[in-house]
Amino acid sequence: MKPYDAFQGVYVHTPFCVRKCLYCDFPSYAGCPAALQERYVEALCREIRNPALSYWKKPVAPEATVYFGGGTPTVLSARQLGRVVAALKEAGWWRHPAEATIEANPGTVDPAKLQALRELGFDRLSLGVQSFQDGELQAIGRIHTASQAVQALQWAKEAGFRRLSVDLMYGLPGQTRDSFRQSLDQALSLGLEHISAYSLIVEEGTPLERLVREGRTTLPDDDATGAMYDDVTHILAAAGLARYEVSNYAVPGQESRHNEVYWHYLPYAAFGAAACGFDGSLRKTNTAGVEGYVRAMEEGQAGTVWQIEELPPATRLEEAVFMGLRTTRGVSLADLDERFGTNVSSIYKKEMGDLTRKGMVEIRQGRMRLTPFGMRYGNEAFEAFIRTGED
Amino acid sequence: MQQDHIRNFSIIAHIDHGKSTLADRLIEITGTLQKREMEDQILDSMDLERERGITIKDQAVRCFYTAKDGGEYMLNFIDTPGHVDFNYEVSRALAACEGALLVIDASQGIEAQTLANTYLALDNDLEIIPVINKIDLPSADPDKVKKEIEDVIGIDASESILCSAKTGEGVGDILEAIVHRIPAPVGNGAAPLKALVFDSKFDSYKGVLLYLRLYDGMVKKGMKIRMYSTGAEYEVTEVGIFKPNPENVEVLTAGEVGFLAASIKTVGEARVGDTVTDAAHPCETPLPGYRKATPMVFCGLYPVENTDYDNLRDALEKLQLNDASLLFEPETSTALGFGFRCGFLGLLHMDVIKERLEREYKLDLITTAPNVVYQIHKTNGDTVLVDNPSSFPDPTTIASVEEPYVAATIIVPKDYVGAVMELSQEKRGEYQNMTYLDEDRVMIHYALPLSEIIYDYFDRLKSCSRGYASLDYELAGYRPSDLVKVDILLNGDPVDALSAIVHRENAQAQGRKLVERLRSLIPRQQFQIPVQAAIGNKIIAREDVAALRKDVLAKCYGGDISRKRKLLEKQKAGKKRLKQVGTVELPQEAFMAILSMDKK
Repeated sequence: MKPYDAFQGVYVHTPFCVRKCLYCDFPSYAGCPAALQERYVEALCREIRNPALSYWKKPVAPEATVYFGGGTPTVLSARQLGRVVAALKEAGWWRHPAEATIEANPGTVDPAKLQALRELGFDRLSLGVQSFQDGELQAIGRIHTASQAVQALQWAKEAGFRRLSVDLMYGLPGQTRDSFRQSLDQALSLGLEHISAYSLIVEEGTPLERLVREGRTTLPDDDATGAMYDDVTHILAAAGLARYEVSNYAVPGQESRHNEVYWHYLPYAAFGAAACGFDGSLRKTNTAGVEGYVRAMEEGQAGTVWQIEELPPATRLEEAVFMGLRTTRGVSLADLDERFGTNVSSIYKKEMGDLTRKGMVEIRQGRMRLTPFGMRYGNEAFEAFIRTGED
Repeated sequence: MQQDHIRNFSIIAHIDHGKSTLADRLIEITGTLQKREMEDQILDSMDLERERGITIKDQAVRCFYTAKDGGEYMLNFIDTPGHVDFNYEVSRALAACEGALLVIDASQGIEAQTLANTYLALDNDLEIIPVINKIDLPSADPDKVKKEIEDVIGIDASESILCSAKTGEGVGDILEAIVHRIPAPVGNGAAPLKALVFDSKFDSYKGVLLYLRLYDGMVKKGMKIRMYSTGAEYEVTEVGIFKPNPENVEVLTAGEVGFLAASIKTVGEARVGDTVTDAAHPCETPLPGYRKATPMVFCGLYPVENTDYDNLRDALEKLQLNDASLLFEPETSTALGFGFRCGFLGLLHMDVIKERLEREYKLDLITTAPNVVYQIHKTNGDTVLVDNPSSFPDPTTIASVEEPYVAATIIVPKDYVGAVMELSQEKRGEYQNMTYLDEDRVMIHYALPLSEIIYDYFDRLKSCSRGYASLDYELAGYRPSDLVKVDILLNGDPVDALSAIVHRENAQAQGRKLVERLRSLIPRQQFQIPVQAAIGNKIIAREDVAALRKDVLAKCYGGDISRKRKLLEKQKAGKKRLKQVGTVELPQEAFMAILSMDKK
């Protein structure tokens, strides 16, 4: 069996947060009543246990990765999370995962909870730190301080998490090239072996967008953000964390296996409100509304709240290329040819030629990848491979 | 119908004074169309005309009206454009009439085009009936308007008709006045056919439709006609009238207005202003006709995608079928590839054509900045006409340059006189004179270079007068000017399509503004782009478009693929509208930068 014939990852969504960050346009809700959260956990377990509710019918690879994301999964109690894990194990989604990650907000963990998560079988913790500067954290509406983040990392180590990752952001209101360097240095001094560093995107409809539009907050300009982009790569590389994807850096061997499932366009099952999964040929997205999701699962009417997008082979090929190009390994042309029964080099002859001439793409040993220069302007390369939607 | 029961008239007005609404009302009241067939601005049949609230093409309508004296009259009425660009169409329409309704807004009073159009009507010896419109408005002041008519235009306003085209009040009086005050045509129905072509329209089934005013004789189906200027002969396949939709009739006779079809293939064969006569019994002398419309404004039109070149040519040919004043010929630009140099009556005309090409023919176009035609006297004694800055000769071979000037009439409340003068001075205008229309309003005359008018003069005139100023102008010959060509270099390479011709004294400042504007219009690219302005080999200004530091989606996870993909698709579509010039990608607006130099 080929890796793309079985689910290689399992995603579970928790659409709850203590407070919504100002930049966030992810499906997540703050202030959800405890009773509804409880019903949500129950609905989630039902979906996981019943293929008629989840839709997912493909086989699961025994070592399929598990990822609890959100929102903030640690808003749920250890007991609630335990029920979800049990459901996954019972239904065969969680067997011998190559990696089991849970996201956490530094403001939502304590030693006991982290201990409990370890005991449930999570072996990797992804902590949403974003910055080690309190002023910057406040400006984007985070609920925690820098010292709470440092504390949470310490507790996580004590609880036995060997694999820790933090998310950092650059281009934040009030951030300077110097303050961002300090955040990077701080992360490195804590001995982290995996860091995700994202450039802030001001999404339409978020409170941050309104603040920026009304001139009530100021973002660093393009040049400053561009300099931070350079700094991330250089500083982390010097510390032994190599970039392996546009925004992800790791000591070799510490890459996120789960995220690689997405980037290599392999099938992954997804559960929960707003969860979006891909079985190798179609994408299924559940409704983002918590109540609607819960009711549908309680009533066994999952079909009314999911949306299914059949992906024609041409679309899948395009997506496989543009997702794969996000990684520094790039894509194997032979693998794509085999998987999609086509010849990528001839289909994309012009695009590959143009991008190679511009020095954005290199083709070596049967793999196509972005050069560091190409990655900086990755959108141009991604766009080149997208054809459907044009006339 | 007997000629003494025919009235041919036109409506003339400044833009927005209610001409089209009055036309609607006349059509409705005479029962030419049933109420249910009416839609607003019925004569503005092009989508663009309705949207912009302007009339572009002449339209002719036949109505029947039973007057209070019991007689039934045939009213042929020709609607005319109100914009200065199309004055030429107005003069054609007026030549086919015996009278005109001069519509003036009761609160605005006389405006620049009121005057221009009135003079055109007087030139054609028309009976003018002043109509003071919009009397339903609270700010209406008909007595003041009457006084203006007498003082400024010098015609008797005591019998002006007060009306509101909107409510219908006074429209009956207008109909009576048309019957009693406008003279009937006095042609000879028994004489050989003599008819004026006052407009034409291409119909893909019938060929060219000629809009005619018959002076003598008659025309009917099957007759052989001759075009006086070319001698070409055609057999009439149809004669008809507009009510306002075309309707066939047996015959058109002296004094009437209508159309004929005769399998004429191109508008060029049937020149507007020509005389149509009977091939068997031709008339002895033609009608005076008109001067040919001369395009005053030129620009380059280029397809964004080079493969659209043939489509663009086909589209231009089709538009030209109905618009003989549109000129185009192929040209090549090193920056833009193959395209056309096009000539227009004015900026509005240019805009309209461009919009129709994009809308009706779905073409993505690059338009270069508009310019006028320069006369260049060279040191070797030759004189050349230059309608494209890129073909401006080497300065060392130029003895002198002349540029077209216009006589501009500006009417403005007196409080804004200072601002208008300041603007006109800045635009190299030469003050001629100023007269008070009343205590509040002033008419100013300036001689201005046409090139300044087509840039941003009108917009700035409007803004410096809070929208109160009105402008009319007519070409007033060529004058010597000290002009130089400013070239624009991107990344060190000259881009011919961005060159501009400016006055030497302003060259430095214009060059600076132009590169600043370009810097703000050109999107950041992967490398820094120097934008330079040069006169000959001398660089006079430089700005740099900073390099784009990065452009890559920070995050793209499983759940995000569809959304991010749409985003990329949208970005890609946006980039398709950019034109690759050398290594630099330029948006369409960059080529028009000179028109928006004062924007930030």
